[in-house]
Amino acid sequence: MTAGIHIEGISKSFGTLDALAPVDLEVQPGEVVTLLGPSGCGKTTLLRIVAGLERPTTGIVSIDGGPPDTARTRKQIGFVPQSPALLPWRTVEANARLLQDVNKVSNPRLLPDVVDLLDQVGLADFRNAYPHELSGGMQQRVALVRAFALGAPYLLMDEPFAALDEITRAEMRHLLATLCEPLNTAVLFVTHSLAEAVYLSDRVAVLSVRPGRITETVRVRLDRPRTPDLENDSTFFAIETRLRHLLQEGAER
Amino acid sequence: MKQRPAVWATIGVIAFGVVWELFVRIGDIKPFALLEPSRIVRAIADDPTFFLRITWSTAWHTLAGVAIGLVLAIVTGAALAAFRPLEWAVQPILVLIMVTPWVAYISSIILLLGAGLPTILFMVSFVTFPPFVFATVLGLRSADVSAREVFASIDASPFDVFWRLRFPSALPSIFTAARFSVGLGLAAAFFAEGGSASSLPGLGATAARTRLDQTLGAPVLWGSILCSTLLGIGFLLGVTVLERKLLKWHPSQRFTIG
Repeated sequence: MTAGIHIEGISKSFGTLDALAPVDLEVQPGEVVTLLGPSGCGKTTLLRIVAGLERPTTGIVSIDGGPPDTARTRKQIGFVPQSPALLPWRTVEANARLLQDVNKVSNPRLLPDVVDLLDQVGLADFRNAYPHELSGGMQQRVALVRAFALGAPYLLMDEPFAALDEITRAEMRHLLATLCEPLNTAVLFVTHSLAEAVYLSDRVAVLSVRPGRITETVRVRLDRPRTPDLENDSTFFAIETRLRHLLQEGAER
Repeated sequence: MKQRPAVWATIGVIAFGVVWELFVRIGDIKPFALLEPSRIVRAIADDPTFFLRITWSTAWHTLAGVAIGLVLAIVTGAALAAFRPLEWAVQPILVLIMVTPWVAYISSIILLLGAGLPTILFMVSFVTFPPFVFATVLGLRSADVSAREVFASIDASPFDVFWRLRFPSALPSIFTAARFSVGLGLAAAFFAEGGSASSLPGLGATAARTRLDQTLGAPVLWGSILCSTLLGIGFLLGVTVLERKLLKWHPSQRFTIG
């Protein structure tokens, strides 16, 4: 069995529209890889293909040696969509527990404690609140807990902080790094934020404009655990600048 | 001046009653055509047990019929929402049921099912079924797309998706349908009770008997009509209370400025 996510020659066309040119990428167990690219470059499409929510036109994805559908059935994927997608009739705790409650027969692992996770993200006092009583950032924290509560070895995140203001967004990436690091969870993270890409990733795959192709993969050599003061570090700036140039080059192709 | 909707509503109802009373008295209208509100109220006050008994009976007929219609509609709606071709096939039939005046074919239903409870329950569930089906299909389809993907990401079973996501998402539109379905169901129960001319107690059956046997008197007819109005109001209140309780999470049930 080949551990990790392996993407080989994945492309996607919608009718005559080529969304994604053939892409190759690997995510090793415990590794955080970010797909960075401009809007409409196909990074979300690639993530959805990995999650088994979309069929590729060409190519193969394997997760721990099997197809994405098997990974879904085994609850190996914690998926975080762009919007929090909380169920408004469930309390914060019930929302956080949702994926544990669904498809229970497939719970192969000892599941993380939802109350502990809510405590870690600062929502212990809001366990019985309803989503409409929370701010956007708090709702997205519940969505993160919902994914982490699966205890899945793979997390797929589709621009989860895109709708948040800059300050909340920074808090969220710091929080996400804190949650991920002790777990050895592999993360495939989609964003168009340079700071998010640098702060969270071990590697950043930069995509060109549509049809998206990976123009370069940049290794982020920053120590872990990552802490917020890292964002004032010259190495951080240097990587951010390099990514910006790569994005600009990709936009001109 | 302070805004008091309840006070103004009461003033409106009293004013309407006064105009009605004067219109009947001054115009010397025949009692079976229209009776003064004071005499209607007196008729009910003279024999409250009788009116309570027939109102209860019609309430039971309506609620049972609406419940049957609702359950069948949810099952049908779930099937239609899952298979588009089935929806395309069934939609014209539902529209036919909705647009055809049911009073036109009720005698045929009585011939088919016989006078009495089966006809009443059939009519109530039959007329409330299409609006509930449309509401269910619309509601099931309106479930949040991102939430559907979250469910799909762990290969949730169709039952889990239905029970934990789609059905709660459909509740707001089902309640909207319920608001007018209870009125529709009450009318169908009233008419079916009358049409079936059975010995069953009920507001519709009583009203029909006063037309056949005028010794029962106009006060009994108009008492039955007023009781059915009050029953309709009671049903609407019941739906509203249930909606507040079950949909407290929904924006329609939250009171905000603007």
